[in-house]
Order: sequence, then structure tokens, then C-alpha cells
Amino acid sequence: MPRRPSRRRCETDVSDFSEELRKPVTEDEQMETSMLSAKGMHFPWLQKQLETVVTGGKKKKDFAQTTRTCLSFIQDALLKHQWQQAAEYMHSYLQTLEDWDSYKKQAAPEIIWKLGSEILFYHPKSNMETFNTFADRMKNIGVLNYLKISLQHALYLLHHGMLEEANRTLSQAETWRYGEKSSSQEILINLVQAYKGLLEYYAWSKKKMELSKIDEDDYAFTTKSRNMLSQSWKTSVNFCALIKTPGVWDLFVKSYVEMLEFYGDQDGAREVLTNYAYDEKFPSNPNAHIYLYNFLKREKAPRAKLISVLKILYDIVPSHTLMLEFHMLLRKSEKEEHRKLGLAVLFGVLDFAGCTKNITAWTYLAKYLKQILMVNHLSWVQEEWKSRKNWWPTFHFSHFWAKSDWKEDSDLACEKALVAGLLLGKGYRYFRYISKQDHEILRKKIKRMKKSVKKYSITNPVV
Amino acid sequence: MEFPSNLHPTLFMAGPLGMTDVPDLSFMCSWKDALTLPGPQNCKDRALPLAKDLLWEPSMPGPLPLLPPGPDPWDPGVTARDLLFRGGYHYRRRPQVVLDVTEQLSRFLWDHGDIAFAPLGKLMLENFKLEGGRNYSKKRTVVRVKRLLQDLGGYQPWGCPWAHVSHRLRRFSILGGPVLSRSVSLLLGKLLHEELALRWEQLLLDEAFTGGALAWLPSRTARTGQLVYPAGGALDRLYFQEVSLTSAGNPRVLKNPGHIQLRGPVRQVVTSTIQEETLLAVRSDYHCAMWKVGKPGEPAPLKVLQVEKGATGINLSPHLPGELAICSRSGAVCLWTPQDGLQLVYKDPETLAFRDPSPWRWADFTAHPRVLTVGDRTGVKMIDTQGPPGCGLLLFRCGAEASCQKGERVLLAQYLGQPDPVFPPTLHLICTQFSLYLVDERLPLVPVLKWDHGLPSAPLLARLLPPAGPSCPQPLLLGGQGGQLQLLHISGGGTSMPRLAGPPQTLPSVTDSLSTFPLLEPKHQQQLEERLQAPTIGLAAAPPWISTPILLLFQLSAAGDIFHQQLRLLPGAPLLDQTPPPSWTPQATAHCSRWLVDLLELPPSPTAWAAPTFSHRRLLGHMDLQKSEGELPQRLRVAMARGQLLRPGDLGTPPTAEPPPAPECAPQDELSERLSEAWEGRGATWWERQQGRASGSQTQAKRPKRRTQLSSTFSSLTSCLDLPDDNSPPPSPDQTSFKARLEPPGIPPSQESTQELWERGVRSERRQTLRDYMAKLPLQKDTPGPAATPPSQPSSNWVTSSQQQTPVPRGSQAPRKRQRMGF
Repeated sequence: MPRRPSRRRCETDVSDFSEELRKPVTEDEQMETSMLSAKGMHFPWLQKQLETVVTGGKKKKDFAQTTRTCLSFIQDALLKHQWQQAAEYMHSYLQTLEDWDSYKKQAAPEIIWKLGSEILFYHPKSNMETFNTFADRMKNIGVLNYLKISLQHALYLLHHGMLEEANRTLSQAETWRYGEKSSSQEILINLVQAYKGLLEYYAWSKKKMELSKIDEDDYAFTTKSRNMLSQSWKTSVNFCALIKTPGVWDLFVKSYVEMLEFYGDQDGAREVLTNYAYDEKFPSNPNAHIYLYNFLKREKAPRAKLISVLKILYDIVPSHTLMLEFHMLLRKSEKEEHRKLGLAVLFGVLDFAGCTKNITAWTYLAKYLKQILMVNHLSWVQEEWKSRKNWWPTFHFSHFWAKSDWKEDSDLACEKALVAGLLLGKGYRYFRYISKQDHEILRKKIKRMKKSVKKYSITNPVV
Repeated sequence: MEFPSNLHPTLFMAGPLGMTDVPDLSFMCSWKDALTLPGPQNCKDRALPLAKDLLWEPSMPGPLPLLPPGPDPWDPGVTARDLLFRGGYHYRRRPQVVLDVTEQLSRFLWDHGDIAFAPLGKLMLENFKLEGGRNYSKKRTVVRVKRLLQDLGGYQPWGCPWAHVSHRLRRFSILGGPVLSRSVSLLLGKLLHEELALRWEQLLLDEAFTGGALAWLPSRTARTGQLVYPAGGALDRLYFQEVSLTSAGNPRVLKNPGHIQLRGPVRQVVTSTIQEETLLAVRSDYHCAMWKVGKPGEPAPLKVLQVEKGATGINLSPHLPGELAICSRSGAVCLWTPQDGLQLVYKDPETLAFRDPSPWRWADFTAHPRVLTVGDRTGVKMIDTQGPPGCGLLLFRCGAEASCQKGERVLLAQYLGQPDPVFPPTLHLICTQFSLYLVDERLPLVPVLKWDHGLPSAPLLARLLPPAGPSCPQPLLLGGQGGQLQLLHISGGGTSMPRLAGPPQTLPSVTDSLSTFPLLEPKHQQQLEERLQAPTIGLAAAPPWISTPILLLFQLSAAGDIFHQQLRLLPGAPLLDQTPPPSWTPQATAHCSRWLVDLLELPPSPTAWAAPTFSHRRLLGHMDLQKSEGELPQRLRVAMARGQLLRPGDLGTPPTAEPPPAPECAPQDELSERLSEAWEGRGATWWERQQGRASGSQTQAKRPKRRTQLSSTFSSLTSCLDLPDDNSPPPSPDQTSFKARLEPPGIPPSQESTQELWERGVRSERRQTLRDYMAKLPLQKDTPGPAATPPSQPSSNWVTSSQQQTPVPRGSQAPRKRQRMGF
């Protein structure tokens, strides 16, 4: 049975999302949807179509027209990588800030930031100073964008390696408040804090590196380590809020856990990782399970624990490289159930298009198949093979693959041939092709392979 | 497979689309994606540096036609003009659409009265007595037509209350009234409205060609291949055109294409080459077919499948030869395999994420050969074909998870796995009308990349091409139905997430080629424009070669034309718009002219509708010919009866010596001269002559001069803001404090050029006038105020960079506003 991602987070019932259709609509919207059929789909190109038709009524103001044309010029120039031209148009586009239409006026700063920052990011003559000035000014036009722009500005600075400036920007943003704190604002502030935490983590890990060079008995060591301790406490506050919000926070979680581990707070680290991996509200992120597994491995957790963590990863990503490690764990397990799963895991890995040439997986499978068949667990193999027998032969063991595998990687071809022989019999084309090859080094191996197939192939009549 | 060890920080919120209380972090720009975080020292997986100057440059300003136009005429069909009410309001934030049913209905009743009323007449046949004498039937519901017509006899009592109405007429109108007046308009109106709405929806989004009907089949030899595409008036003929590429990367068409005649229009063509076996599948409205393309080029049919409710999408397996996924309007998805035949994999007439009444379905493959993706307008789900029915995992949902906008829907879902992948073969492309998403099937619901494409038409075509070199990013082509093309550069793979390696770029569209065609008379020009504006229904590319990074793109239009364009990867040199734009080569122009000649020779398309013709012969016959009539009226009558064109010569009247009346200033009047030349078909030569003449003429020279003056005034309007003000008062204390706080930014890039214009275009005496004018402009909101800036941020003041050098009092600060952004 090919394994599929678990249905851990069951799909929400359809009716949950019909809200979208039930929301109260304004008069304008109502008219539009009724005219557009009940689909509720929006067409960005509708306006243009209408303009070719509608002649009567109030015309758009010249101002709106020029602004819109200018916007399309800028977008066009950006997509043609004509940064200079885009900058020149941008110069004129700034008039949109004075739009009478309050809706447009509100949307303008975001558009200007988006386009302007893009121009300044790519313009060959632009420099960091220009960008910083632009960002600083944009933050304060239209209060709603302050946090978003600050955050992006900080990321820009980080990208250019200016950690101190980034830290300053983030600190400013952190203390910024406007009106009632909305949930969107709160998330943004959490993000800002998390990035600040990340910066502190960078500083910390730099210090850690320095520390590792100093002798432990040194006086400097104690003061430094005391400094680090206080810093860690601060950082944990920064990370805490964000990593409780559903999302993908790999970087933050990893850094946080590293710090917690350093200070011996194993329980804290475990809790963070467990929450990150098992909280239902979070997306099913393979990395969450990988981090947890790696942590448990470092902690020398019992095998059963490791297996249970990898079992979930197996449900989510059966093609992951860790699955081979998982197989080894299962294989060594005393439980028969685990050893059976060990076979399924290998088959599962080789189901995927990106893993077909994974020689380790093939070697494991060849070895394990032989081992299982030797101890007479034919039914395990048959169970796995049942759902694959009508497509694995073409997928893995076609004549084409026999030829090309032998040419590209004869070791791989030998392993595959053994598996093919065991599953499909000695008459099968892949096995036949490889076993007929003459190869000085592999001659012995091929001979052994033939013998195994003759003895253990599942196609052999049951005696 | 490796999984990226560090994913981008992303917020994850479940909920309906268009949620407003969640910050949409993806509103950020394309450069956001390019950012890297400086990892701690031990961080190994630093992403590749960003290629700022990654650009595929087209070798010509627009695509060129590959083949001469086909013999079948092409009609662009209905436009918005035909469907919509013309009196709507222009200026609304939300456009309002009103289908023009009334006009359509009245036109229909006038033009096709026979169709509109004949069925009713037939229904009421038993109530009429068409011939014969008096009717002694006692049925009071039978009317004698002869008398009725006599009574009507050209007499129409419109609006006259005292008009005489006979009993018969009265009875007829009482009996027939409700039927005749209501049922026709009601029934027809309803049907017509339905049809118009359907056509309008089709005009906004024609989903039939989703995926595209053009495919490139590579041959054994590197520089040849086959284009597979439908052509012919009904797109029902599948052509196999061999194309070889010259060393310069230009396509050369080899011999006449082979073709297969099908019984329906081809909507989608897909190919896949697995284990050196090339397969080709085609989707028509109600049929799907699959061929094996052998070596001699003779395709061998494998399977034909009928889809009763209509097929919406097909895809060939990239893993196993001959496996085909088919979707039907009924909501069913089937997998056809050579071993097991047809197998129903999934069926649900409801949509996935929320209710949306669209029957469009889509299916593609995933990295696991037995798992399919099933998509509709609301989302995409992964289905295990061997698992229990009805199970699956949502891969993508139109909702808050992907920060979708209100009204956003899936238009295309494509598996990006390739035989030689750079990325892990787990990526899926999802296009909506606003954005493009890349989703990894191992991390469902969280897009790993989102980009707002902003295409002005539906992006129904996409192709991921192999990289141009070992460490190059992979080009991802995105095509809109309106012919717009975009190229994205995607890098990543292994342990890093896929991301944009540089800013995306647009490519020339077919309409950009209009400039290479010679100037035509309006009617022909329109014909050409319509042809070039035909929707794009297919996109294919010959993959770039490693030796010379040249990319050759092919576009198929709904008119059956194939256009091609060549792109070169520019060597990574810092460039600033100075590379001269590509220009047409004489060969290209000549090629287009030849193509145009062929196009204009085609017979005009038979119009879908023609004005009704009335038989006048009968009318003429009924009239008594007056003997006393002269010769002239008689000839007219004969000509009319025969439907002939009558010229003065036919009437025997000698041609008058008098020239036709002409405007007094005949020699000077260019318009009429041009018109009469154009009428004779010499429009182009006239234009050339005129241009030659104009260069010497003084009057002609004036106009452009005036324009340059104007435009320089405009550019000076912007640049005058940068001009140092000589007579400005001393700086106010407020601003000097800024001076200290803010570092003066670098010279804005545009400043140099615009300033130059200023010097050139505006004479010194006018500068002051302009300056005064600028000062009067209502731009003075920049003093700190609650509307524009938060009171808590006094430093948010509008302060220009130039202001720091030449501060002026508050009142005259205003016009400087625009320059401050650093542009």
C-alpha cells in the first residue's frame, strides 16, 4: 500500500467556507455579483472589457486616468527590467497620494512601497542609503503600513548584513502602537519581536563560538557566560509569542531550541518542539517532526520514542531521506509489527519519482527482502506487492531501465535486479538482462544474486 | 528525497478567502523572496546569490508567424460590445455589467421573425382557417385568416382609442394576445439571457483551452522537433509540423505537415516522453484520444474515450507510459491505464473547499505514480487512486492559508515534476487570476512561493523549461489568454526552497508585432489586428541548449496561426536600460509582408449574421407596369429585378463632363487626397510620398517642435522640484534639526536626466512663473497633520533631500513632496 500523508488535520466541512457567500454584501457588490452570475469569481480584466463598451455616464477623472496609466507604465517597465524608466514614472506616480478618492488614497502607500522598494532594490544606481530614506518615509505615510514596512526594511538590512541597523529598526517597530491593537497588528508585532530575537540569537551564537575558544577556568569565561544567560532570557520572551501562533517558524524554533538546550532546559526545548510538531492548528510541517526527532536522538531517547516520531513523519512524507534511518530502527526492533512496517517503509520510499535511483534504498530492500523471505514471511511481501505489481514492473523494471541503469550505475542495476528477481521471478526481463551481463568485478555478486532468486523468489511455486 | 531544512517563516491561518484581520505578508514584493537571512556561522544552506540582471532578451520586438495563414477564414466572434448594455456608468469602483437583452431580443424579432414566431403559428394552426369558403364550424376558436388580413389591411390603430376594430380583430387579439405578446418574449428572453450570460462568461474566461493546445515533441537529434497543434476553421485537424532549428536558433519549417482529421475541435494537446516512448493525448469537447508517436512520425492510435458530460482536462503520466487522467464536467476524474483500462478515481459534483457552482475540473499527477491531484475552482486535492474512495488531502485551498483575495479562483494546476528535475519532483504550480503559487506536496496548504502576476487575461498556459545551464535557474513561462507572456526564474532544489532567482519579466506578445507590418487601409488593418489579437490557445518551447542559451517559444492563436520568438540569456553584465531595444530585421519585415499578402488573399469570413433580404421580385410582379414609363425607370426596374449593380453607363446616359464636386482647397486637403489614394489602394505609397515631402516642409516641422516644447515643460514640472532655489529665505530651526538627524540620501537616479531637460526646455524667464505656479498647487498637506502622519511620529514629516540643502519656509515646501522618495 503506498502510504499517503495522514489525514491528521481533517478537512473542514464544506459549509464552513460557504461563509464567503453569506457575508453581508454592500450594494455595489450585490449588483455586481447578480450581474456576473452567481459565481462570485472576480475578473481583474473585467474593467478593461467594460471600457470598450460603456460610453455614457460619468467619465473617470483625468487625475484617476493619468494615475492609472502611470501605474501601468511602471508595472510594465518593472517587468521589462527598465529600472531607470520605472524610477522616472514613479516620480510622477507619487501624485496618487493626493487622490480625492479616500479608498485609493488609503491603498496608495502600499502600492508605492511595493513598487518603489522593488525599483530601489534592483536599480543599479540605487544604494542602501536611498533605500533606507525611502523606507523611513514610507513607514509614516498611512499608519497602517508602519509595521509591515518596518519588518521588510529590517529584512532588507539583514539581507545586506547590517544587523545593528536592522535591530534598531525592529526595536522601533516593536514599541510602535496605533489605535486599538488589532489581531493583525499583534501578529506583526510578534513577528517583529521574533526577528529581533533572531538577531539576538545571532549575537549569542557568535559569543558561544568565542566562548568555546576560551578556557573554562578563566575569569573571562564566567562573566561571559553570565552575560549570555541574561541574554537568553530576553530572547526567549521574543520567540515565545510568535511560535505559539500557527505558522511555519522553522528558523525561530531551531534557534530557540538551540539556546534552551545550551542552558540545559531540556524540558523546555522538548515542549517547544512537541508543540510545534503536534499542535493541530499548525500546518503539517515535516521539519517540525524532523527537529523533534533530531532532538530526541541527541537526547538518546529510547528507540520506541524515536520510532513513534518517525512514524508520523512517515505518514506525512514517506519519501524523506530519514525513512532509511527509520527502516534501520524498525528492522532492529523486537516487535514483529515493527519489522513488518520496516518493509513497507522501504517500498514506500521507492514509490516516489525522486527516489527511484536511491541506491541505499534498493540495497536495503534487496537485503531485507531476502532476509524476510528466508524466515518465511512471504505474506508480508505479498501484501506490499499486491498494490504495486501492476505498475512497479513498468516503473522500475522495464527493459529501458535495465539498459540505462546498467550503463549508468551497474551497482544499482544489480540491487534492482535482485529485487526484480525476488518479486517477479527469474524469467523477468530486468533480472534476465542484468544476469546476462558480463562484468569482472560484479561477476561474483551476480552469481550470488541468481542463487538467491532461484531459492527465494515469491513467484516460486509453494512447496 | 531531501526536504528543505529551513522553510521561510509563514503565517498559517485557516479561514475563508479575503480575510482582512490577518496581515497578508505576501503583499510584499518580488524582492522579498530574494532576501536571505545571514545564518549563524554553522549555517550551511545559504541560498544562491540573487541574480539581479537575469534577463532573457527577445531578439526581435515581437513574435513572427511561423507558417503561412491557413486557408480557412477566421471570425473573432462576439465581443463585449455585442453583449453589454452601452449606457452604463463609467466611473464606478466596482464595474457593473448589464447584459443587453432588450436590444438583442428586438433585433432578433425583427431579423428572424420567422424563427421567433413560426413555432407559435404552428401551435395555433388549428385555430386558423387558411383557405376555403365560409366556415360553418361551430368552434368559436377558429379564425379565418383571409378576413382577418382584410380587416387588418394596412390599418393599424396605434394608440387611437376611437379606431374601429372589427369583431374578428377583437376576438383575435383577445385570444391571441396573451400568447403572442408574452410567451414569445418570455421564453425567448429567458433563453437569450442565458445564452448571452454564457457568452459573456466565455468572453471573460474561456476555460476550454486550459492547459493549451500546442506541444513540442523533441526528436532524437537535438535541433529538430515536431509541433503538434490543431488548425483549420474549426480547429478539428491535428497537425504534426516538423521544425528544425538553425545554428542561430531560428526555426525552419520542414516539408508539409502531416495531419489527422478529427470530429471535434481540439482543446488541449499533451505529450509525455517516458523511457524513450513518446505519447500524445488530445482533448476535444466530448472525446479524448491518445496516440503513440513512433519513429517514422506516424502516430499510432492507442485509445479513444468518450466523455458524455464533456471533458475539462487531461494529463499524461510523467512516470508510466500510456497512463492518462481525464476529468469530466460531472465532477468525475478517471485514470486510464493500459493494464487496467478506465478506472473511476474520484467523483464529487460539489467543489472542494467551498461551494462554487463551476463544473470545471482538473487532474494531474504527483511524485507518486498512483496519487493524482484533483482540482476545481476552489482548491486542489491529492487523491490516492488505490486508497478508499473519497479520501484525500487538500494540497491547496482558496482561502486564508494562501492569503487569497476575495473572488480568487484556481484557473490552472500543473505538476512540475520533470524527468530530469532540478527541484524535487514534488512541486505543483497553481495559477489564479491574481497570483501564481508554488506548492510542495509534502507541505500541503502552505505555498512555498507566491507571486502576483498581474496578467490582464486568464493565465491558462504554463511551461516549466529545463535550465539553460548547470547552475542556472529554471525558466517558468506563464501565458495569458490574451497573448501576454511572462517569464519567471526559479531556483532552488535540494535543501533549499524554490524561490524567484530574479525579478520576473514580460515577453513581447503577438500584438507587439503589429509594427512590422506595412500600413494598411482601415478595413485590412482591422482584419490584421483582429487576427493578431486572437486569443492564445497554446504555448510551447524548444528547450534551451546548454552551449548557447537560446530559448525558442511558440504560441498558437485561436485563428490557427503559430508565432515564434527567440530569447537569449543576456550575459550577466550590469545594465541600465542602455541596451538598445531589439529591432526588426529586414528579413522579418519581408516575411511578415509575405504573410500579410497571404492573409489578405483569404476569402472574407462568412458573417455569422446577415441583414434579412426580402424578395422584391414578387412585389415587383404585383405592380402594374405603367406603359407610359420612360426608358430609364424601366431599366432601373430590370436591374432591380435581376439584382444587378447599375452604373451610369448602363442607363445610357453619357458620363457627365463635369468633375465630381471637390472641396475648394482640393490640392491642399490632405485628408481627401489620402482617402482617394487609399480608395484606389495606393495608401501606402501616398504615405511614403507624403513623408518625403513633409521632411522639407516647414509647416510640418512646426508640430513636433511644439510637442517637444510641451513635453519638456512637463518633465521640467517634475524636475523643477530638484532645482536649487536661489532666493529662498534662511532655514527654519525646525528643519535644521532634521538636517542633523537625517543623512542626505544619494542623488536620485532620475535627477540628472530630468534636470537636463529642464535646462533645455524652459527658458529662464519662465522658470520663475513655473515656480510660482508650483507653489500655488494644493500640495501643502506635508506640514505634519493628523490626516497624513501619526502625531506620535514627528520625524515622519515630509522633508525632501534637497530641502536640507536649501530649506524654505513651510508655505512653499509643498511642491517638493514628490522628489523625496529617492527617485
